[in-house]
Amino acid sequence: MSGISGSNMRDDAVAWVARMDAGGWSAELEAELQAWLAGEPRRHGALLQAQATWSMLARKCGPHSQSPKARIAGQDDVATDPAPDRAVLNRRALMVGGGTALAASLVGGITLIKQRTVLRTDLGEIRHVPLDDGSIAALNTGSEVDVMFGSARRDIRLNQGEAWFQVAKNRAKPFVVETGPIRVLAIGTAFSVRRREAGADIAVTEGIVEIWSEDAGSQRTRLVEGQSVFLADNARLQDVVVASASGEHALAWRSGRIELVDEMLVDAISEFNRYNRRRIILLDPQIANKRLDGFFRTDDIDGFARAVNATFDVPVDFSRPDEIRIGSMQITT
Amino acid sequence: MPVVPTRPYRGPKHRPVRGMDMNECASVRALQARQKRAAWVADQIVPYEPRMRAWLSRWRVSPEDADELLQDAYCRIALLESLDHIDRPVPYFFSIVRNLLARRHRRQRIVSFELIAEVDAFQDHPSHDIEDQTSDRLVYEKIIALIDRLPPKCRQIIRLRKLEDWPQKQIAAHLQISEKTVECQIRLGLRAIREAWDKQEAQARNRSDGRFQAGAKIR
Repeated sequence: MSGISGSNMRDDAVAWVARMDAGGWSAELEAELQAWLAGEPRRHGALLQAQATWSMLARKCGPHSQSPKARIAGQDDVATDPAPDRAVLNRRALMVGGGTALAASLVGGITLIKQRTVLRTDLGEIRHVPLDDGSIAALNTGSEVDVMFGSARRDIRLNQGEAWFQVAKNRAKPFVVETGPIRVLAIGTAFSVRRREAGADIAVTEGIVEIWSEDAGSQRTRLVEGQSVFLADNARLQDVVVASASGEHALAWRSGRIELVDEMLVDAISEFNRYNRRRIILLDPQIANKRLDGFFRTDDIDGFARAVNATFDVPVDFSRPDEIRIGSMQITT
Repeated sequence: MPVVPTRPYRGPKHRPVRGMDMNECASVRALQARQKRAAWVADQIVPYEPRMRAWLSRWRVSPEDADELLQDAYCRIALLESLDHIDRPVPYFFSIVRNLLARRHRRQRIVSFELIAEVDAFQDHPSHDIEDQTSDRLVYEKIIALIDRLPPKCRQIIRLRKLEDWPQKQIAAHLQISEKTVECQIRLGLRAIREAWDKQEAQARNRSDGRFQAGAKIR
């Protein structure tokens, strides 16, 4: 029973488990096993893993069968709390009330009244808001969205920031997100839109959307699940480059996280600066293009800076309250 | 596939200790301590392995490297004096895996991880727990399915040993084969099951993607 390579180590461990299981364990066998274990420390791990698998085979189901209900009850308690949502709902209730009164006074007229709700998030805030039609909007940091649901259409205007929508299917009422001149028409789907300086990022996580810009003719193109695009306000669609990005990492913000996968340091820093008042300043342009991976909370700006410090071995200055400085000033000759 | 006979074995659970010298006693105690720890790991950790593998694969860790990381993490557990201080086994184990991964990354190209939130979510999030209850029940079914996929002779012996709790010796007598053959079949069966268990990552990944979507709906 000896072997250096991983798979042999595993086979040997399995053989030892079978031997232990056979009964008649003796001092000699124990000594032999100890010698095998001592030969390579990682064998301890292989043995435990094999033995646990063997032990699992006798496992019976059901010891925890009653706890899920208790947990569901607990979840409900939590779900009743979020105050910002309640404020929105109240405001919306007011709008609905007003709208109904107005509609009543216009009986016989054309009822084009839409209920309008404004959703906002502060810097660093992330909100998930259920919409009246059963759709869900998730608003990222520093965003503003107008929700205008009418009898024939569902219109959303993204004034700033970024939002992800999971759209409830309703063929009779198209769901259209507008930002500047750009339009995104949902076709039973989930997608995100991020307002940029002169255009928008659009990423589709589910289904299909149709996109176009009012400023560049009404020619439309379709994006499907997994595709993302930057659409300039005045872009002609034939110039647009569709990327098949991993939207999952880019949408980690929905659960308050930043996931960096092979990201350039300079991009990672601007990502953190979206969420935090305290800014990160990169003083050393030479490391701007270094790539990194990491997994952070959106507000864990310190943890990120420390990780950069440990990874790239660059100085990090935490002394100022309003910013964290990474790298040392390069003196050019 | 029915196993005949299903008569439960009612013999002694443990070998009699009488007649053993001190060394034998000590070695049996060592054996029992190992079995106890393995049972704890089987209960608390192994069912979550597929999910940890799925998580590792999201970090572009190859299946082979994931095998190695998990084994190294098990090694830490095996070498602990006692497990008494661990009150949340999955986050504990997960944090070992994370640290091993971070160390490995640092050695190569990259960073460290701020995973505390993720590790806590692993345990605290109610919806995760509900799912775990489901998969707890599913674990048993999965095990049965894995056993059923073994070749007939191997399957029969594993079923008698684990599901009917017969000792190897009894199985050998019943099937009129040598005890060595029984031990060998158990070795082959366990190896096949271990390998199949390692490959459950893809399914777990699909589930965790579903949860990721669902996470946006809650609140």
